[in-house]
Amino acid sequence: METHFGRGGLASPYLFVVQDFGQSLLPLSVGYTESDMLDFVKKHKIKMFAGIALLGSLIFYSLSLRHKEHANSFERTVLSLTTPVAGSVSRIDVFISSIWNDYLYLVNVRQENKRLRETITILNKRLVDNREAVVEHDRLKKLMGLKDILPVSTRAALVVGEDSSPWFRTVTIDRGEADGVREGMPVVASAGVVGRIVKVAHNSSRVLLLSDHASGIAAVVQRSRARGVVMGKGGNICSLEFSQRGEDVRTGDVVLTSGIGGVFPKGLPIGEITMVKKGEYGIFQTVNIRPFVNISRLEEVLVVLQKSND
Amino acid sequence: MIRQAKIVLLIILAVILQVAFFPYHFADPFKPNLFMIFVVYLGFRGNTLWGGVGALLLGLLQDSTGGIYFGLNGFSCLFIFIVLKTVAHRLFTDSRPLMVLSVFLATVLNGLLNLLTLLVFSVVDGIYSTILSDIIPQGIITALIAYMVCSYVAPGKREEMA
Repeated sequence: METHFGRGGLASPYLFVVQDFGQSLLPLSVGYTESDMLDFVKKHKIKMFAGIALLGSLIFYSLSLRHKEHANSFERTVLSLTTPVAGSVSRIDVFISSIWNDYLYLVNVRQENKRLRETITILNKRLVDNREAVVEHDRLKKLMGLKDILPVSTRAALVVGEDSSPWFRTVTIDRGEADGVREGMPVVASAGVVGRIVKVAHNSSRVLLLSDHASGIAAVVQRSRARGVVMGKGGNICSLEFSQRGEDVRTGDVVLTSGIGGVFPKGLPIGEITMVKKGEYGIFQTVNIRPFVNISRLEEVLVVLQKSND
Repeated sequence: MIRQAKIVLLIILAVILQVAFFPYHFADPFKPNLFMIFVVYLGFRGNTLWGGVGALLLGLLQDSTGGIYFGLNGFSCLFIFIVLKTVAHRLFTDSRPLMVLSVFLATVLNGLLNLLTLLVFSVVDGIYSTILSDIIPQGIITALIAYMVCSYVAPGKREEMA
């Protein structure tokens, strides 16, 4: 006869006697009857079932580990059944979340939005100001470059007004008699000739633009040295008058001030020839010039402080 | 007295608009001539003596704000005033359409007078092309502004042509 003790503490108060009868093992208590064993089982059946269930589940788990990457039929069934439900619940959850996030939670968003818009406006204004400052800097740099090149003293001025009439071409600048400006003085910009001073007040002056019909500037074609007078034609076009038919004048030629007459210094750029027309008869040819200076976008100019010889 | 003050204020406003606003915001052929509205108003409603003085001053004011020919518009405005004054008693001058039409015609006449005066007294070859091409657009835009001014001054008034 062999005597074994049971697992854990289950059989601690009891002694399981295993009798070897050749075929089977039967637990027999020593000093306890069979009815006592049944009572014991009845009394502790829950614990025993729990233990067996745990053990079974562990075994099941250990067996399932071999196929852990494959869903078994139970898992597939559960997945198939729960997925639609989970999807619906998820959609409801999203809906509720959106209501919360988009409406209830946004009670202060209007204020914040307003504040952000104001901030954007301020930043945009700063951006525009910065760009404007850069552009202005470039313009002034060019103007100062011209000021250094010119052999005579100059006075920088701002364009503060335009002509109120559609058929005259004048602008008003913020320099006048108090700044040494006098009638007849030439006015130039970084790109070239602008015109000349025609009316002077104490702190402002009017400039007759080279595109006005009353304007005339002695000029020379840079390439061929052909002479003429640049007259305004209204708009932003001028013409080279008194240029004889035989003179070598071509489209694209640059026209400069000739210095004749003493109003404008010699060599200032006026414009580019855009059209040359030589008729069969007549002494002169028709020459159109596009001024280098964009009259409609003038902002800063230089008044050449030299006395006119007119 | 209050009426005169209002007119002076309107003229100041017109000068500001004419000098500082329109040249920057209106393309060249469409620069209106606000002074012509006042000249037409004076021609229809003004006193002969003071209206004439006012028209002349308005023209000179216009010459001071544009061009280099001082007196050019002074003459034109006075001429237009006299023409309007001559025919005003035959017309129903309270009519808004008449006012608008008169402003248009006066603006056109002003341009033609300017052109004639320049050609006769000054050496400005080629200016006729600029003036002739700009007269009609300027007349239209000025008439449009005259219509707006009339609507503002007497918004609910019903007019009838005489």
